[in-house]
Amino acid sequence: MIFRLLRLILVVIVAAAAQPSPGAMAQAIGHGSAQLIADQTKVIQDLTAKTDGLEKKISDPGEDDAGLVDIRLQLEDISRAALNSALAFRSRLNDINGRINVLGPPPAQGQQEPAVVANERAALTTEKAQINAVVASAQNLSIRISGVVDRIAAMRSELFRSVLTKRYELTDALSPQAFSDAHEQFTGLYKAVASWLSFAFKFKFQAVLAATLMALALAAVLLIGGRRLFGRIFEPNPSVEDPSYLSRLSVAFWSTLLPTAALGVFLASAVFFFNYYNVLRGDIGTFLNALLAVIGMVFCVNRLTNAALEPRLPNWRLIPVESGPARWLVGLATAMALVLGLNYFLSVVNERMGSPLSLTIARSFVATIIVGVILILMGLLRPFKARDGSWRPWPAWLRFIAVGLGLFTIAATLLGYIGLALFVSFQVVVTGTILVTAYIGFLSARAIGEEGGFADTSVGRWLSAKSSYEDTALDQLGLVVSIAINLMIVLVFLPLILLMWGFQPGDIEAWAYKLATGVTVGSVTISVLGILTGIVVFVIGYFLTRWFQGWLDGSVMARGKVDTGVRNSIRLAVGYAGVALAGLVGISAAGIDLSNLALVAGALSLGIGFGLQNVVSNFVSGLILLAERPFKVGDWIVAGDISGTVKKISVRATEIETFQRQSVILPNSNLINNAVGNWTHRNKLGRVDIKVGVAYGSDVKRAHALLLDIARTHPMVLKNPEPFVLFANFGPAALEFEIRVFVADVMNGSTVQNDIRFAIFDTFEDEHIEIPSTPRAVVETKKHEAWPIDDDKMEAEFAERERLEAEAAAEQARLAKTKRRGRKPDPG
Amino acid sequence: MWKSVVAAIALLAIGGSAFAASAVNKDAQTRTLIVTEGGGKTELALAAGETVEFCPNGCFVTLPNGDLEALTGSETVEISGGVARVK
Repeated sequence: MIFRLLRLILVVIVAAAAQPSPGAMAQAIGHGSAQLIADQTKVIQDLTAKTDGLEKKISDPGEDDAGLVDIRLQLEDISRAALNSALAFRSRLNDINGRINVLGPPPAQGQQEPAVVANERAALTTEKAQINAVVASAQNLSIRISGVVDRIAAMRSELFRSVLTKRYELTDALSPQAFSDAHEQFTGLYKAVASWLSFAFKFKFQAVLAATLMALALAAVLLIGGRRLFGRIFEPNPSVEDPSYLSRLSVAFWSTLLPTAALGVFLASAVFFFNYYNVLRGDIGTFLNALLAVIGMVFCVNRLTNAALEPRLPNWRLIPVESGPARWLVGLATAMALVLGLNYFLSVVNERMGSPLSLTIARSFVATIIVGVILILMGLLRPFKARDGSWRPWPAWLRFIAVGLGLFTIAATLLGYIGLALFVSFQVVVTGTILVTAYIGFLSARAIGEEGGFADTSVGRWLSAKSSYEDTALDQLGLVVSIAINLMIVLVFLPLILLMWGFQPGDIEAWAYKLATGVTVGSVTISVLGILTGIVVFVIGYFLTRWFQGWLDGSVMARGKVDTGVRNSIRLAVGYAGVALAGLVGISAAGIDLSNLALVAGALSLGIGFGLQNVVSNFVSGLILLAERPFKVGDWIVAGDISGTVKKISVRATEIETFQRQSVILPNSNLINNAVGNWTHRNKLGRVDIKVGVAYGSDVKRAHALLLDIARTHPMVLKNPEPFVLFANFGPAALEFEIRVFVADVMNGSTVQNDIRFAIFDTFEDEHIEIPSTPRAVVETKKHEAWPIDDDKMEAEFAERERLEAEAAAEQARLAKTKRRGRKPDPG
Repeated sequence: MWKSVVAAIALLAIGGSAFAASAVNKDAQTRTLIVTEGGGKTELALAAGETVEFCPNGCFVTLPNGDLEALTGSETVEISGGVARVK
């Protein structure tokens, strides 16, 4: 079973990776056509013979479902082979058609053509007819195979239906005869086992001992090694008060997986060594195989339920049921697995010993009834405790499903539909186990995907220690991991469940193949593979572009001392071109015909033209900005009333940072359509003007000379163009001068202005040249006292004022007493 | 974001016509191909100038001149002047 599954996965991968290649075509080139025709005729004859054999096999009444699926797969292979063999003629057929074309149309009646031409024409026509005959036989074969495949599908559904709907007479099975039959069977089994045991002990004792010991040793290695490696996460630690959900999940997972794997290794190696030493005899091997499979299954179910429910350690429980019911659930689930396993083992025994049908029915009857009862018990269990201490049942849907399935199984059994009942109970156990495992997986994916969940895992801790990932990056990584886990669960468990539900690996193989190469619905073909290829190609193209961009920018242009603005333009242009190219290649790799979209695009373009007019105009303007480069990143530009440094030129808009550090996003079309001043376009040279007023009556010539001197001596002022002092105006209050100096970097203009102004002020003061200021009228305004805000302060001030007033009053009173008696002091 | 990704994939899926053979009729008349696929024969009539996608998983085609050809499902059949050519 595992090998079939592995093969299935392998085939899916191979089918996804490789398209069937018409390898046969290559043969045709350079070979004689007669040889080719003979070869391919032989191939098709072989294939037809194979098909005949397979068709005969189908009619065999003993063929079961798996056999039919196998035949179908073989038939599909044959069909593909027939197609490939027909492909081999293509190039020859093209040659012949070309040659006939060269020969021209056959002559009209009554006219003769040269014998050479007539002969060649005849030979070519004959050859073409032969080729067509071979291809036609391939076509007929493929039609026939198609019919057989349809028949197989019908037979399989019929087979399945007959298993499920066959009604057995229970009266035969439950008669006393059945008991005596059973007794007979057990005696037979006992005798077989006893005789084998005595044989084994007498003649093969050492071999048995050695085989068992070896198997035990292997299992011990796995178990002890596993414990060593995963010991920390393998055993639930009872001292941990509140283990995180993730650690509970990983404990559940590993404590199910490791012991089961160890037991599986033990059982498999035991069988292997018993076989190796020739200990097994007759039917004993089959019995042992069945028994060991049952033991393995029961153990797995028991481990899983134990891990999920942890009856002894409530802290580590995955599903929050109470301890008592948890114990019950584990017991019931194990019992169910045990009953079904025993039933399976006995069915093997029955088959080998050729027991009567009545016994088989009786056995299945008992097993299905027990499973039904267990299901009902599980459904009726009250696993939760309410706040007030009363027991609460399962959620209604779960309860109804469990009880319903149990009742259905019992009813089907009582009515005689044993096949149906067995099918249902088997599905309940196996599908239930798979679903629970998948559900635990989904839960762990969710726990990892939660915020901070991934950082808590050992991988996350390792990553954050070893790399420079930040918390947000880890979080996003966790999201990706959780999606990947979800996807993996679907990919692994969906086929498993389908297998359990009676689909054969061949079915799933065929579906996977179809899904990968394309499902046609009407005239539309949906191909997962194509879409994935497109996405992968786009992603690869995107990263290649990014890498190329980085390389070009960091290595080539940085070394080449290319200007930063040019570098930025080239990098952006390369980025746009690369992403657009990757998109186009991705779309065509996905197999989308762009001509189909062209129609839609044509219809939409009018609407887009109106609706996205501004966006498109900005986009085109952005491209023009990159090509023409009226300014580049880092330039000081003035656009309208915005003045600042260019930070970033992007597709739609340009980001400008003003000197107050305000970011202004200016649409590119504004920059293209309107005048833009650039202080640093070709160079950073700039002129700084400083106005100075000199009082009337000063020595103007002296002032001019001083100003020129100041300008010349400043270290940042350029010698060429020379500084210049302009006697600008006879102003109303002063003689106005203007110093005009050029600086190498206009960004330093403010510093230069400051320095020069200070220098002028100092020099004029030394030289007693006055800088007049326009006199202004002085208007005194009455300032109101601000409203006090601090109560304590206000009180203190008030008290102080009172005190001062009182003192002043006392002083005045004293003065008045001494000087002008009788005069009253001023109020307030 | 996921919504837009899903939408994009759906769009790709609908637009996707990957791995199917296509037939182009460059003539002014309607031409007919007979396609044998999955056990049945169907006539594929191509109007003037029409392009049709067919046969995603391999098929046999009878061309207008009576030739029988096998297609793997990645070829283009081009009909011009009444003569079909498989590329």
